[in-house]
Amino acid sequence: MGRRRRPAGRAAGTGTGARALPEAIAALCRTLPAGPGPETFRRAKFDLPEAAPALWRLLSCVLSPRSEADTTGSLTREAQVRLVKSAMRSQGYPRPALFQLPEDGSQGSRELLLALSWLLARGPLIEQLLARTRVRLGDEMPVCECEDLACGRASPGLPTPSKDADSCVDVRHVQWLMGKLRFRWRSLISSHQEHCALLSKIHKYTQGCHSDRNLGHLSVAETELLRDPEGGQQLLQMLEFENVRLEAALEWRRLEQVFWQWMDTVLGASPPDSPNAGSQPTFLPSIPERVAGELELVSRELQALQKELQEAVEVRRASWEAQVRGQGPEWSAEMRASKEAVGQELAALWQAWEREGSLAQPHRPNRLVRSEAGAPPGQGLWATEAIGALRSKEACLEAVLCWLQGQSQQELAKLAGALPGVIWIPPHGR
Amino acid sequence: MLPADCSLRLVAELRAALDACGEQQRQLDQSLRVCRRLLRAWEPTRPAAPEPTPGPEPNEEDPSPACAPSLQDLTELELLTQALEKAVRVRKGISKVGEGDKAPSLKPRTVATPPATTTSVPPQAPGQAGNGTSETRSPRGIRQPKVPARSLPEHRLLSTRERTSLGRGARATRPSLGDQQVTPSVTPLVPEAFTLKEKGTLLRLPMAFWKAASQNAHLWAQIDSTQASDSANAAARTRFLLKMQAAVSCQACGSLRTGGRLKELPGKSQHGMTREALGSAAWATVLAPTDCVQEYRCLLLLEGLQATVGQCLHWLQELRKGGADAAWSPQPLLYSSTQELQTLAALRLRVAMLDQQLHLEKVLMDELLPLVRTQRPCCAAVCRAVHSLLCNGGQHFPTVLQDEPAD
Repeated sequence: MGRRRRPAGRAAGTGTGARALPEAIAALCRTLPAGPGPETFRRAKFDLPEAAPALWRLLSCVLSPRSEADTTGSLTREAQVRLVKSAMRSQGYPRPALFQLPEDGSQGSRELLLALSWLLARGPLIEQLLARTRVRLGDEMPVCECEDLACGRASPGLPTPSKDADSCVDVRHVQWLMGKLRFRWRSLISSHQEHCALLSKIHKYTQGCHSDRNLGHLSVAETELLRDPEGGQQLLQMLEFENVRLEAALEWRRLEQVFWQWMDTVLGASPPDSPNAGSQPTFLPSIPERVAGELELVSRELQALQKELQEAVEVRRASWEAQVRGQGPEWSAEMRASKEAVGQELAALWQAWEREGSLAQPHRPNRLVRSEAGAPPGQGLWATEAIGALRSKEACLEAVLCWLQGQSQQELAKLAGALPGVIWIPPHGR
Repeated sequence: MLPADCSLRLVAELRAALDACGEQQRQLDQSLRVCRRLLRAWEPTRPAAPEPTPGPEPNEEDPSPACAPSLQDLTELELLTQALEKAVRVRKGISKVGEGDKAPSLKPRTVATPPATTTSVPPQAPGQAGNGTSETRSPRGIRQPKVPARSLPEHRLLSTRERTSLGRGARATRPSLGDQQVTPSVTPLVPEAFTLKEKGTLLRLPMAFWKAASQNAHLWAQIDSTQASDSANAAARTRFLLKMQAAVSCQACGSLRTGGRLKELPGKSQHGMTREALGSAAWATVLAPTDCVQEYRCLLLLEGLQATVGQCLHWLQELRKGGADAAWSPQPLLYSSTQELQTLAALRLRVAMLDQQLHLEKVLMDELLPLVRTQRPCCAAVCRAVHSLLCNGGQHFPTVLQDEPAD
């Protein structure tokens, strides 16, 4: 089995299964970041333990959060196993066998292969991984705040540290932290302003230099590589490496179907399972196609589905009401419990759907291009439009914040009013 | 003092926010360093513009005698320019001292220069020893309009004066100013003070890099387009997922295994898939409830699903209005002035900050309001602190006056 070059004229995916499968797997290995060799996949089909460590490593690299992607190489096997298990659980992986695999990471290669395939099937995993480590040649500026937000929240899954006497803080400490945060935001904003001014200068001074006429000027990275040849060499190497991975990804897309046929056999070979007690419903893959005609079709499907559900609900309700008449008082407790359970399930469904819904539209990266006002944007986006959108978002958020603050203020004013012997004067403007 | 769990949560949230800010600041500082360095004087590694003279690496060559006169002219021009630049900078005050990046008027960084000149070159290089950048034959790179040649002694005088005045600053003075024998025979050595401002337009990207970069852009564009027309693969993936799901046997009425990704299913081939998905996986579980409890749960599930599907439809409507394709390759973001760019950056940060404030406000309300409600009697100081936190983000405080009733 080698990485044979496919003749250009061959139709996609219709090569004989025997020849196309090794190529597909080889392409997959070339495009994955910590890609194991193709041998690993074959061994994993037969659940051989030699394949397990490489697959644990691969999955932990793939599943680790964006900011820590570089450090997974240094994790111990046990840490990798734990990371993979918790990440797969939170993504709603349906098969419980994965979570029962031993912590030392010595077994379970077939289950890991199934887990990897599940991830590949659900979403544009390859593209996401490539985008994560993309070489940024231009000066980029996000026009939405999503990336900032993702980092700034305390992760809910953190184990709460033990509560002891030392962890009680005074409210003044909280005030101090808030003040510190405000100060940091101010510094950040002013640094950004300086950065913008410098970028603008660099773009202006290098107008007309770029080999790509659409871009016109150099970016900081490009200018830097002219200043520092060693850095430039590194950048070139990274680019070439990324090109190899991109080509592998394209080849993978051409040959993918053969892989899925093979995975069917792998699935067949593994023993059937019973579901987890609290397993989440899984979701069909996200394919970010937004062609209007297909949306129309899907919409019609959903409408038909809704009608079906409506009829089913009517039937069920009628039959249930007939049944419930004969029930005693303890029934209401049962009802409540059922309602809660079902409510939770539906909420989980909805939440996961929402979360994936927002993730399904990855924001396109933006490369800053200095250009004359009034020129046609072509494929691009004018900053003025982005500014307009941000302004309306700003207004919206400000309104919500004001309202919330108003709510608190009303309540506190009431409480303060009840204090004996004290006059309460709110600060100016409120 | 706040109770333990409340404290922990508040401190955790605020610390996460602070850390995120700090991390952004750190990265930004690094970018700023790079940008500032680029806007100072440095030397490009390539000839600044494509020239008729052959040889991409002219650094090692001795200039041919035929070129000498024009080289000399250009070098003298360079000297004059540098001297004037330096004069301006010195007058403004030497602020960025000690970095060694600021180009002194003569930057004899030329390491591999013709041996005859090496003796006079090194002493004039304060702090340049550390720079490993390769030199360039700047006169070759600049195809400037002909400039009248100036007499050399005048130049040397100027440079001497320049260097003397520089020497009075914080820079280490070169005692042997007479050493700088910038004779015409040595002209190839003299590196220029390259600044983006003046000669940025002459830069050109190296060929190898440009090839790799355009290949990169082309590949990303291909990735985008293959995603857009991917229905066959999508069908294969969906089938696999369903099979995997089916291998995990469905239990009775408690769980439903389809979901709201229906909107994502593209293509005519998917219609059957949708039906099948719902038909097989879902209905099987709700068709045969065995007792009253299950009957009720079925009913609730169906009603819930109905609501969900309604939401899906609504979401779909919004999506069709938007119509943006997901894409991976970068798109140009065009701006026309520094002001515009700054406005954009400021707004984006403001929106992020507001969103964070909103989140923190909710957390604070969650934690602090119950405390204030339940503590009886409510301490005025605590009330005041909580009010400032909740109503102003900690910026203003209400005034509290003790009003003792007159006896």
